[in-house]
Amino acid sequence: MPDLLPTVVAITEDEIDLNALIAEVTLDSTGASAIFTGLVRGITTRENPHETVFLEYESYKPMAEAKMMQVANEIRSRWPAVEGIAIVQRIGRLYPRTPTVLIACTAAHRDTGVFDAARYGIDRLKEIVPVWKKEVSPTGETWIEGEYFPKPGE
Amino acid sequence: MVKVLFFATLKDKARTRQADFDLPEGTTIAQLKSMVAERYPGTDGMLGHCLASINHNYQADDGVIPSDAEVAFFPPVSGG
Repeated sequence: MPDLLPTVVAITEDEIDLNALIAEVTLDSTGASAIFTGLVRGITTRENPHETVFLEYESYKPMAEAKMMQVANEIRSRWPAVEGIAIVQRIGRLYPRTPTVLIACTAAHRDTGVFDAARYGIDRLKEIVPVWKKEVSPTGETWIEGEYFPKPGE
Repeated sequence: MVKVLFFATLKDKARTRQADFDLPEGTTIAQLKSMVAERYPGTDGMLGHCLASINHNYQADDGVIPSDAEVAFFPPVSGG
């Protein structure tokens, strides 16, 4: 049965096509989809206020797609009601207001944990999927580094 | 021969994306880090808090590198 459930993971340089992805993770029994998408923020006001001209993303593609598949498997083990999962990260040079990442989890109904599942997906992607972004501001450029140190086998 | 990949800050510091290392059997990640620091002095001091993978799996310093492995060193990830 689980092999009939659609899982889409991808690192791409192309625009993220929300409608196409939703279609890929929708079954006849699907009635709910929780979608998270992250965007390039041009103006940051929280903590260290600054402006962003663009972000330059790079990835270790084969490992990134393997880790995205692992995140999808972790979602399935925690929320068995989830039907379809899409995890897509766009890379390359991305400007403010542009969607950079998309997590979609579908299920029969909205009270099945799909919101939590999508939240888990983006949180976990930011921990273990090897993608990095360099921030270019009006005053210079810096690689942004995460804070999580995955354990062996994680 | 082991293929070693660098990403993000580490790639900039090493001034290369990729290098080949001929490693004795039983070489660990920690030992390879010393060799990388020697060949690419710019990376010295950064490798201590970098992540390491062997064949796409996260590894600690004591991880033993098989022959023909693909090893990668990179900073904690920042996707999303």
